[in-house]
Amino acid sequence: MRFDSPVERGQMALVRPNQASAGSEGTQAVVECRQLTKVYKKLLARRTRTVCALREVSLSVHKGQIVGLIGPNGAGKSTLLNLIAGLILPTEGAVTVCGHPARSVKARDGLGYMPEHPAFLGGYSARATLQYHGALLGLSREAIARQVDKSVQQLQMQEFIDRPCCDFSQGMKQRLALATALMNDPQLLLLDEPSNGLDPVGIIQLRDLLKQLRDSGTAVVISSHRLGELEKLTSDYIFMHRGRIITLADQAATGQAGRLRVELVSNGRHVAEALLPASQVLEVSDTELVIAVNDPADVPDIVANLAKGGARITSVLLQKEDIEEVFVRLCQERT
Amino acid sequence: MRAYELIKETFLRRGYIWMVHVIWLALYGLFWWLFIPDGEEFGQFLFTWSGFFLPLALSAGVFGDDIASGRICVLVTKPFWSGGLYIYRLLGLSLQAAVHLLLAAGIIGVLHALTRRGSLEGLGLWLLASWLLFNTCAALSTSLSVVVGRAYNSLLLFVAMATGFIVVALLTSLLHEHAGGETFLSTIKFPWPPFELLSKFARGEHEEHGVTVEAFGLAKSLGCVARSLMLTVVYGVIGIILLSRRQFSCMRD
Repeated sequence: MRFDSPVERGQMALVRPNQASAGSEGTQAVVECRQLTKVYKKLLARRTRTVCALREVSLSVHKGQIVGLIGPNGAGKSTLLNLIAGLILPTEGAVTVCGHPARSVKARDGLGYMPEHPAFLGGYSARATLQYHGALLGLSREAIARQVDKSVQQLQMQEFIDRPCCDFSQGMKQRLALATALMNDPQLLLLDEPSNGLDPVGIIQLRDLLKQLRDSGTAVVISSHRLGELEKLTSDYIFMHRGRIITLADQAATGQAGRLRVELVSNGRHVAEALLPASQVLEVSDTELVIAVNDPADVPDIVANLAKGGARITSVLLQKEDIEEVFVRLCQERT
Repeated sequence: MRAYELIKETFLRRGYIWMVHVIWLALYGLFWWLFIPDGEEFGQFLFTWSGFFLPLALSAGVFGDDIASGRICVLVTKPFWSGGLYIYRLLGLSLQAAVHLLLAAGIIGVLHALTRRGSLEGLGLWLLASWLLFNTCAALSTSLSVVVGRAYNSLLLFVAMATGFIVVALLTSLLHEHAGGETFLSTIKFPWPPFELLSKFARGEHEEHGVTVEAFGLAKSLGCVARSLMLTVVYGVIGIILLSRRQFSCMRD
């Protein structure tokens, strides 16, 4: 994944391609966003109010990549997803999907889209819904039948495939929505909160399925608030805040930031004051110190330094910063 | 396959649609049974209910429901021209109307044969006029549905038509003696669904000569049909342009 954000405006940019995305460099981007800006105009009583939902966002997503879009509410994640899906038009900039302008028929040919709140015709069964979507995709009867069987197996839909959609639970709707998005074996899969309403088994199945799709070359863009789930699945994240990409970090990179929890016999405060820079000390008491660590390789030096300075250490624990903590930290930094 | 599914969907999208057809057909039968109408009376009744009220009922929320539920966001990401979605849906409504009118004719035919009461004179032309009016009203309502949420398209169309009728009636009474009044009224009525014109067309052809075209004239009759179809196309094109250009949010109402 390449990422161009206006770093000169004080935004952080951390790009560390991991193995999954490293191989994709040089291949044609499945999604290419260039300087995307989206301004919504709202007509109020006597004036027009404008809301800038996205500001000069550029990114590219390659074949076989899973990208997680994360950010607080109103960050612009859904706007970005909608722009890629061609549901809305950018105020400035351009989006291409599989080399074609988003919203064009050719771009849609390789696109699978699953909205956050899937809706179906209540009178249709899951099978009829899949047949309907297959027909809209222009598939033949045989191809539709094959895809329906495949979806039933992949997404464990045997129990409700012939039941009307109006009786479905949220989890069933999610499975069916994912099945409809996969009907055309898309090159790009856009998922908005895909694990909403899924039970733990469903979440594991979804994760396995997305990994399979990634391995087969499908690019997946997921917008989700379930950061723990994303961490198990996603190779790259895009953090968004107030319409901008603030940091793009791969999983390895986020894992490198962490906290060192040091337990001492006594004199914790004195040790911290004497031996550590104040900016590095996150928490301090007489018997415990929590120290910010940028690189795990620094840990032996920090511990040795503390011991040399007279600290009587009883235990040391390095806690890596997970994606949730990174998210909270970034949000706090931005506000 | 795509056309078939989209056409089928216009009938299955709401559970009450089949009931609308049954109730309307029962109304025709009841009207015939109770009032023993002549051909023109029954034709006018059929024309009003199937040409105006039926499209309002069948096209209520034809796009608005999808927009309100967020389903449209999935439909417009499918790889085909968005206008196709509009065309097949309108075609679905039109086909429903055609079958509906044939069933109506069959029911009235059977009632007439059983009771030997009333008259079927000119029924064919009234059926054609009703179908043409249905198409124009359905196209207008479907286009409104692209921009008006949920099922408010039908309500809006009903209110607009009722207001239009009152305004035109008032203007007619005020302007009937003024020079140029007729031209002015014709001009303001021109973009509206051709109720009056199609009603005249259906009445005129059989006025004195059965199925001949003397009373209204072949050219005029063809002109009526052409104008009605042209309006359907114009309303449809407006709807297609609106649908193709519209941006959709996946937020539900």
